[in-house]
Order: sequence, then structure tokens, then C-alpha cells
Amino acid sequence: MGKYLLRRILQMIPVVLGTTLLIYALVFALPGDPVAAMFGDKPVNQAVAAQIRSEYNLDKPFIVQYVLFLKNALTLNFGNTFAGQPVISVIGRAFPVTIKLALMAFVFEGIFGVIFGIIGGLTKGKWSDNIILVLSLLLISVPTFVTGFILQYLFGVKWKLLPATAGANPGFIDLLMPAIVLGSVSMASIIRLTRTEITSNISEDYVRTARAKGMSNRSVIMRHVLRNSLIPVVTYLGADIGGLMGGAMITERIFNIQGVGNTLYQAILRGEGTLVVSIVTILVLIFVITSLLVDLLYAVLDPRIRYA
Amino acid sequence: MTEADKNMTTNQEQQPLLDVRDLQVDFTADGRTVHAVRDASFNVYPGQWVAIVGESGSGKSTSAMAVLGLLPGTGKVTGGSIRLKGRELVGLDRRDYEALRGSQVGLVPQDPMSNLNPVWRIGSQVKEALTANHMDVSREKRSRLAKALAGDEEVKVKKSDDELFISSKDLPGLLEAARKALNDAGVADVDKAMEAMKAEWDVGSETRWGVAKSLIDAGVDDDTAWTLAKEHVTGSDMNDRIAGLLSEAGLPEAATRARQYPHEFSGGMRQRALIAIGLASRPDLLIADEPTSALDVTVQKRILDHLRSLTESLGTAVLFITHDLGLAAERAQHIVVMYRGQVVESGPSLEVLQHPQHPYTKRLVQAAPSLASQRIISAKQRGQDAEGLLEHHVKGESTLERSEHVITVEHLTREFRLPRRKEMFKAVDDVSFSVKRGTTLAIVGESGSGKSTVANMVLHLLKPTSGKVTYEGQDIAGFGGRQLLEFRRHVQPVFQNPYGSLDPMYSIYRSIEEPLRIHKIGNAKSRQKRVKELLDMVEMPESVMGRYPNELSGGQRQRIAIARAMALNPDVIICDEAVSALDVLVQDQVLRLLNDLQAEQGLSYLFITHDLAVVRQIADEVVVMQHGRLVEHATTDEVFDHPQRQYTKDLLDAIPGGKLRLGLD
Repeated sequence: MGKYLLRRILQMIPVVLGTTLLIYALVFALPGDPVAAMFGDKPVNQAVAAQIRSEYNLDKPFIVQYVLFLKNALTLNFGNTFAGQPVISVIGRAFPVTIKLALMAFVFEGIFGVIFGIIGGLTKGKWSDNIILVLSLLLISVPTFVTGFILQYLFGVKWKLLPATAGANPGFIDLLMPAIVLGSVSMASIIRLTRTEITSNISEDYVRTARAKGMSNRSVIMRHVLRNSLIPVVTYLGADIGGLMGGAMITERIFNIQGVGNTLYQAILRGEGTLVVSIVTILVLIFVITSLLVDLLYAVLDPRIRYA
Repeated sequence: MTEADKNMTTNQEQQPLLDVRDLQVDFTADGRTVHAVRDASFNVYPGQWVAIVGESGSGKSTSAMAVLGLLPGTGKVTGGSIRLKGRELVGLDRRDYEALRGSQVGLVPQDPMSNLNPVWRIGSQVKEALTANHMDVSREKRSRLAKALAGDEEVKVKKSDDELFISSKDLPGLLEAARKALNDAGVADVDKAMEAMKAEWDVGSETRWGVAKSLIDAGVDDDTAWTLAKEHVTGSDMNDRIAGLLSEAGLPEAATRARQYPHEFSGGMRQRALIAIGLASRPDLLIADEPTSALDVTVQKRILDHLRSLTESLGTAVLFITHDLGLAAERAQHIVVMYRGQVVESGPSLEVLQHPQHPYTKRLVQAAPSLASQRIISAKQRGQDAEGLLEHHVKGESTLERSEHVITVEHLTREFRLPRRKEMFKAVDDVSFSVKRGTTLAIVGESGSGKSTVANMVLHLLKPTSGKVTYEGQDIAGFGGRQLLEFRRHVQPVFQNPYGSLDPMYSIYRSIEEPLRIHKIGNAKSRQKRVKELLDMVEMPESVMGRYPNELSGGQRQRIAIARAMALNPDVIICDEAVSALDVLVQDQVLRLLNDLQAEQGLSYLFITHDLAVVRQIADEVVVMQHGRLVEHATTDEVFDHPQRQYTKDLLDAIPGGKLRLGLD
């Protein structure tokens, strides 16, 4: 177990190095000169431009820029944005908002996904199951930006039930609709996963054996059907945390939330390599750590899985 | 005379425990109604073993599940009555059924691999069976019948406190006190008596009454024994009781085992756990649905022996469902034969076996492998030479002038590396034998004996660690490319699972034609002709060519697998448990087919099986393997008549119904 953990943690090093290098290269390859873009419509002052380039190491070859970034990143010094703010403080402002949003979406998709999945699975073939199936299929097939805009228009603009956009410091109510939009696709997948697991587990031989023991229907469902069915659901949910953080970009754009996605989008537009890579590095770390936790959780839930 | 028999004679006018009358069970599929059980009637008396025998699809399991109210899918009881102790079960609502299951009717299911939930510990799955029925764990609740059987006197003596179990805390003190009491009583061999008691006094299983009784039997006087038992047997907790139930079912080190998960158990151990679960709440009736068909014969024998003694001591009646008539006759007092949803014959076991009335029963008696082995022996005893029955082999041999041995295996060894272990595991250890042209050599052994590993090495699917396999005098290890293709053409396999060895996406025609195509034999037209020939050879109609494997039964698929193996006119067919998954009647047909093909084509078979009864029907020579080693090698007659090794004798003993006297003419 300890050995396994150590191996997994060591594996993170090449993953993080590889992804940051890739992202750095992609940003470097973006067309256009970010420094020139800073001058806007005004003519470019070559002296100032050269100074900015040297300040941000933009005059050095790509690989040197990357190594300098790595060196600074190790000491948690991510440098400044072009606007002069420290990158770390931009991240410090963006991440709490996105984490809040992702957690709300996570709770939403977890609770409703499992509940509707269970209802569907236990009433297989009845009208309730059919309605749940059709609705979940609809959510999976319609892209987030469509559901996002529709909900925004209906609830935010037409009926004015919820705020149409979130401000600088969004609260629970501001983030409610964005969270539902963000979690809806995963919720639909969870509904389908839970339903499929339940319908296949309910006809397992050990469920019949449990009934033959004289156990009540309720405890058979709880102990033998749900417990087994929820193992893959829990691991899906765990793996989805990273996805929710990264996938918030569209939702944050729609609802104008100043979170990670929005910041990242702006940074890409401005060609701010340092900021982009810093944010992506943190997202990669979140991905890698959650997937490790999910694998460990899997071993706890399913005794057949043992890591060595 | 068993207790059950005693019961039968002393309670002639007693009501049946289970009374099934004119039972009808229907399934609906796509609007069509299938009558799975039609007008089935049978009785089970208290303490009796009744067997329902029939092939798969005969409605035997369905009838049993109807009793438990656990019909699968769309199954419904549409007529007749099921009475348990006089109470009608048909139409009972869910709650009443839940109250009845476990406490009055228990189940030991068929497949030990799929009937335990993989995510719960064994102990907690046993615990469910106790708590679901509100069992008082500190004391034994034997069925009323068991008390009646024990005789009036003892019932008076046994107060409810005398049914408290030994707990794990009490045990050391109890053993010490018992030793002292034995010494005081001047018992001659104290150590021996103590050993016997240690073996008997299972925590959570043995009662105060039992402790006192065994002390008295050992020579301690009544008063001292009872005082001692009262002092040291004070009732056990849930964990002790679970361990007690598991050890009653024959699981060693039960307390430790209870904390393990199903995947850490072998098939036999799982089946013991399932028996413990089925009997946990002391039901009056236990439904055993093919409880051992997934297990090796030797394990099967041990488990059924244990189940018998356990149900006898508890006074539990058993409804035993099996497809093997020999097994049924050996284990049950009464046999019910079902065929296509109907009861075609029922009566006392020996009566049914010796004087079968219905044509189907007659066929079953003839086909049962366990009984068939008996038949050939009796043919020999009547003065017929067994060689005469195998005449075709001799003929086949004389017409060929090539070397006598088709396949020779010399000092074959195969090692595997086990995870987390340093030393290598020898799956096959220095095995040598040879297959003579036109004859059948059977490799027999339990699962894990290495017999399939040998088959895979002979098939050139696995490289031996050392030793060699020669085909027609050539070492197959050196084969590659063209030579290997040629070898594959002459040596063909037929595997155990007819469901898994045919590609479900291939039509039957394509499956059989595939080897011809790979070896580029003939054109489309001649290949089609050949496929028709092959289907004819395995007695299948041409109309199946366009169908798919899932539309065929297990026996039909196995015929297709044989036809495919025959497509290239091979010299050798390697059958790895080729008939083990099949019903007896189908098994018999396939064996006859293999036999006929051997006679016609001069084929040689390497026949791998765990079932010695089948060996008797097909093999000329037998190789017995145990733990990767070859322990015995002789002709079939020699092995059956004069087995040399204890292991071979155990295997022979384990053939169900092997010792039954059969009155066939």
C-alpha cells in the first residue's frame, strides 16, 4: 500500500512536467505578439517593448523561458501579469469562486443524479423510469452553452427568479443557476450510470440469496443493491471534480463569473503564458490528486481491489 | 436407518411438511406465455430428503423457487397450491413471505461464485441471515421436530437455558475445568478424551446440554457434569454464533474466516458458507438447488456428506434439486423426475432407479454417467470382455502403419510466478505420457491439478518450462510459421464452455467454415459442401447454418464446436472438459458422438476431465494428476478395478451413485 502510494506520487512529477511544458509550448506558439497587443492602437515604442520583453523573459528562447518559469514556480513565485498584478494574487482571487461553484455543482449532480438514478433503476420500465431516461438523454445531448443561455433567459431575464449574472463576489444565490447548469451533464450521466448498475445488480444471484435469507425488501435493496451499485458512481463523481473545475469555463463566461475559467480565457486572449501555465498547473495537480484519491477510495469500497 | 427414515415409520399419518399440488408456473416473453411448470405435484415429509431430477429447462428449479416465492423475472404461479405445514403459500403477500423465508424455508443456491455479495465479509452475510429472522443468538432454537425426535425424556430434561452456546470467552475455562473433572473422575485416557471434546466443542455451536452430555459420556458423573456446564456455558455473542454456524458447515478456523471476503474463499468454502447461511435460522425445509454442480467431485462428496449429517442432526427436510440421477438416488429417499415442466415419475429412490416406468426416466438412467460406469463393469461381470466394447480401436490401429504414438509428452514441467512470492509455483511437474493412435487418453484431476495447463502445452498455446511435447515424432517447440499452421490443422481443441468458445457475432456457417478459410482449403462452393457434411456428421440439420450461437442450446453449441474441430480432418482432438458443462442426457449424446467419430475416422483424443464417471465411458487409458504431478497411469479398467493410489480411490469414491446396486437387465 505504502509502496503503491509512493509510486503514484512519484508518477505525478512527469505528468506535471509534461503538461506544463505542453501548455507553455502551446501558448508560445499562439499567433500574434502579446507585447505589441498591449500598445493597442498606439504605435509601438520599441524601447519600452524591449524592456517589457526582458522583464517577462519574452526575449529569451522558449526552453529558457520554460526553465525560468519552473525555477520560479518551485519557490511559488509565479511572477506578475502584464497588468502588473502578482499572478499568485490573481489565482488567489479566481480559485475560491470556482471551487465554490464546482462544489455546488458537485453536490447538485451527486444528490439528484443518484436519487433519480435509483428511482429509475427500481421502477425499470414504468413511466417514472421512462421520463427520467428521456430527460437525462436530453441533458446529455444538449451542450452546456445552450442549457445555460436558456436557463439564464427564462429564470434570470424573463421571470427574474434568480440573478442573471454573478457579480464580483458571488454568493450562494448568485451561483445557484450556474452550478445547476455546470452539473447538469454530469448529473445526467450519473442518473444513467446509477440506473444501469441497479438494474443489473438487482438480478444478481446474491440478491436472490439475500431474499432467501428472509431479509426485508428494504434492507436487501440498501445492503445488496445500492451498496454495490454506488461503487462505480462514487468513483465517477470523484473523477468528475477535476472536470468540473476545468469545465467551468463556458459556464463562467455565460454568467460572467470571475473564476478560474474566465481568468484563463482572458489570459489566453492576452497571450500571458505565465498566467495560463500557472492556472493549468494547479488544475493538473487537482486532477492528479483527485484521481489518486478516487483510486484509493475504490479500494476501500470494493474489497476485491488491493494495490501492491 | 437414518433419523428421517425413523421419522417416516413412526409418523405414518403425519402431515407432509411441504405439499405441492398441481402447481403451474408461467413465464411471459414478448406477449407469449411459456408454461414452465405444468400440474406438478410432490410432497416433502419432515426430515426427509426429496430429490427433483431433470435436465435444464425441465422446471425443477422453477418449482423450487415458486416455493420460496422467488420466481425470476415474469414468472408467476398461475395455478395449484403450495402448502407448508398446512399453510397456503400461493398468493401470500410480500411481508408474510419475508417472514417465512430463512426461518422456515432456507436456500442453498447453485453457483457459489455468484451467490455471495463480493463487498461484504462472509461473517456479515451470515449475520444477515440471523438478524433478518430475529434469531436469539445466545441459544439454540432447534425445530420442534428435532426435539420430538430426540425422545420425550430428553425434551423434559432440556430447559431453555440448556440451549445456551459456548462463548469464546468461556472456552479456555471450560476446557480447564473439564480436564480437572476428567482427572477427578479417574478417566483412563484424559488426553484422548480432551482431544475429542476440543474437536466437538465449537464456539457458538455446541450447547450447554451438549457439553454436559459429552462429559457424562466420558465418565464424569451427572451432577458434576451439569454443574460444570452451567458454570462455564453462559451463552455466546453474535460473532461466536457466526463462527459456530460456519464451523458446523465444515469451515475450519471459522472465527478468522468470518472476517474474510468471498473472493478470498475457494468454491468449496463459499458453498460451505452458503450452507451455513441457508441453515442459520434453523428452517424446517432446506431447498438445495444443485448445491454442488459447480464443484469438483471430491469436494462435492465432502460437502454433501456434511450437509447430510448436519440436516439429520437438525431434523431439517431437504428438497434437493439435481440433474444427476445417480447423485439423487444416492442422497435422497424419494425421487421426483421432471420433464418439460411436468412430473413424469416419482417414488422411492431405488424403485425409480431400478424400475423406471417413464421413457424419459429410462433414458436418464441409461445416460447418468455415474450409473453408466457401473453398467460397463456389470457388462464385464456378465462375462463380456470390455475389450469387445472398444473393438473399433484395435481395428483403427491395424489399418495405419505410422508410429504408434501420435502425441508424446516427456518430463513436461511448467512453472508460474505467483504475485508477491519469491519461489516459483510448479503447475505441472515432470509429467510424461503418450497418446496412442486411434485411442483416448484421459487426464483426470481436481481443479488446480495442472491438467488444463498440460492441454495448453500440448496445443502449443503455452511454452513448457522444461520437457518436450512431440507430435508424430517431431518436437513441437521448434514449430513455427508453416509447420505450426500444419500442426494446428492436425491437432484441434474443443473447450469446456460452449457459450464462450463460439464467436456470438459469427453465424454457425461462418464459425465452422473459418478454419477451412484460414487454411485456404477449397473454394466457397466446396467449403459449403464440407460444412454441410460436418453438420451431418454431428447430427445437426443444415438449417442451423444461418443461425447464431445464442439461438442454440449448450449441447447443440458443443456439437458445433466439435464440427469446427473436425473441419480440417485432424488426427488428434484435445477435449478440455468438453462435456462438463452439459446436462447428463446431452453429455451422453456428445460422448457417443465422439466415440462414433473415433470409430469412423480413427481419431485420437486427449480427454481432460475432473469426472471419472465420464472417463469410464470414453477413455482407454487414464492419467491421474494431483498438484501438478502424475500420480497414476494405467488402462481404464485397471484404474477402476485396482486403483493404486489413495487419491485415485478417493476420486472413484466420489463418483455419485457409484456404490448403488442397479437392477438393470
